[in-house]
Amino acid sequence: MIEEPYRWVEAIANRREYIETQLASGSPITALGYRDGILFLTLGGARQKIFEIYDRIALGAIGHPGDIERLRMAAIELASAEGFTRSTADVSLRRLVHYSLSPVMKSAFEQIYGPPYLARMLFAEVGELPEEDLFLRVEYDGEIATNGAIFGQARQHFAVLSGTRQSRELMESFLKAEHVPDATFEAVLKSALDAWTIGHMTLQTDDAKELPERAAVLKYRQERLADTGIEAGILERDANRAIRYRALLDKELRALIND
Amino acid sequence: MESSLVALDQNFSGAGDDFPALLRRKGLLSPAAVINPSGHMAGPGQAAWEPTEATTILAFKFSGGVLMAGDRRATSGNTVVYDRADKVLEIDRHSIMAIAGVPATAWEMARVLEHSFQFFRRTQLQEMSVDGKVRALSKLLRDNFGFVMQGVGMVVPIFATYDYHPKPEARLYFYDAMGAQFEATDYAATGSGSPAVRGILYYENHWGAKPLQKLSQDEAVSIALRALDTAAESDTSTGGVDRSGKIYPLIKIVSRDGITTLSEAAIATVFKEKVA
Repeated sequence: MIEEPYRWVEAIANRREYIETQLASGSPITALGYRDGILFLTLGGARQKIFEIYDRIALGAIGHPGDIERLRMAAIELASAEGFTRSTADVSLRRLVHYSLSPVMKSAFEQIYGPPYLARMLFAEVGELPEEDLFLRVEYDGEIATNGAIFGQARQHFAVLSGTRQSRELMESFLKAEHVPDATFEAVLKSALDAWTIGHMTLQTDDAKELPERAAVLKYRQERLADTGIEAGILERDANRAIRYRALLDKELRALIND
Repeated sequence: MESSLVALDQNFSGAGDDFPALLRRKGLLSPAAVINPSGHMAGPGQAAWEPTEATTILAFKFSGGVLMAGDRRATSGNTVVYDRADKVLEIDRHSIMAIAGVPATAWEMARVLEHSFQFFRRTQLQEMSVDGKVRALSKLLRDNFGFVMQGVGMVVPIFATYDYHPKPEARLYFYDAMGAQFEATDYAATGSGSPAVRGILYYENHWGAKPLQKLSQDEAVSIALRALDTAAESDTSTGGVDRSGKIYPLIKIVSRDGITTLSEAAIATVFKEKVA
């Protein structure tokens, strides 16, 4: 059947639609650069979604737990082997994603007799300065998005992922307006929670085109916080330490939320 | 599916490899040496295999945790190759390892160990237990034993780490070249200068002003310096304290707060007051 080219294209299109449907309910994850590092944050969920990959690299992912696990493990193995044979300074997110993960995900997606990876991933690598932070979103088909960054030029200081494109785009437009790269931790925590809230609200409706009202965001956020937990981790910019990732506890974050 | 950089095994399970196994799978670590006693052991006309562990390393428990000290000399036969070698190595935020033996193997082992602990935490999403860490080093030593039998690559380490569970305390272990691990109650020493050091630590612990575990940090540092100086007196492979070159032993402390490396200035002060 798929010897004919158009059949193949059709099969790929079906596969894309299937995966998009599967991912559509995925709760948003935000990664925001601030003065002292990068904050990863999401709410709720029965499974862990934010992971340490290497000294300066972390991952947030939605999708099938089995697929996330395989990709996460592959990323850790690659980074660890590279860091061991050369130096930890030679482990780079750009190379990890561009040369290793993306090609594998693409071929799994296009070989329609085999299973694709049902996962959408958001990687971040903390730099010495906020300008050197790198954010990469990797799709199930191997597509890499840099959230507006142009190769070799200044990057945006955040990245998000969500179940749907609409949800992601609204979060991005909110953060473009609200988020500054040299924000304090309290400020960045608030932006991350608000962005997550906007993303999650958007997932509940089919036709959200514009950002919701502030009051509505606040109310929704308070409701969600009342019945779910916060999952968060930071990549610290502190150059005195080799290992920058640290998971944050729900309890310590709630103490900093004042509205 | 074509092979690629990412070894994506369809039957993959997260509970799989430890870090050395991953390195072997990728061909980045030589396979465990084969133990072949017939081939390389002393035969008629052959010199008997003699262990070389030219250095002095010591560690003991004191009131502030575990102090670990090592001289800085690296030798090759009768030649001093380097006088600023670091033989006390940080493995993670709470663990240090000091090495006597062949530096190439020892440093590689420290590197594998360091990555093993991180790899475990990242893949398994929990910190490796103290027993697990102690065992990981034991396994590396056992894998290396074939080389030891061939007369190369002998390593005899000391390992100290802070155990938060069940009873928070600093723990100290020493090993033999085959990988047997022993937990030390008070002190451990290894390397060619260790007999002298062991004598001193035994004496201090039993008949000194106070037992080692009651010593303050300054007292502990002064005993460590005196012990290394004594070892260097009769052992050519131990650097001790280089008075003219102002090269002091490397001293690190494992405590509840993690690892502290004493500055040269701090060691020099204690040395001038209590040792020189």
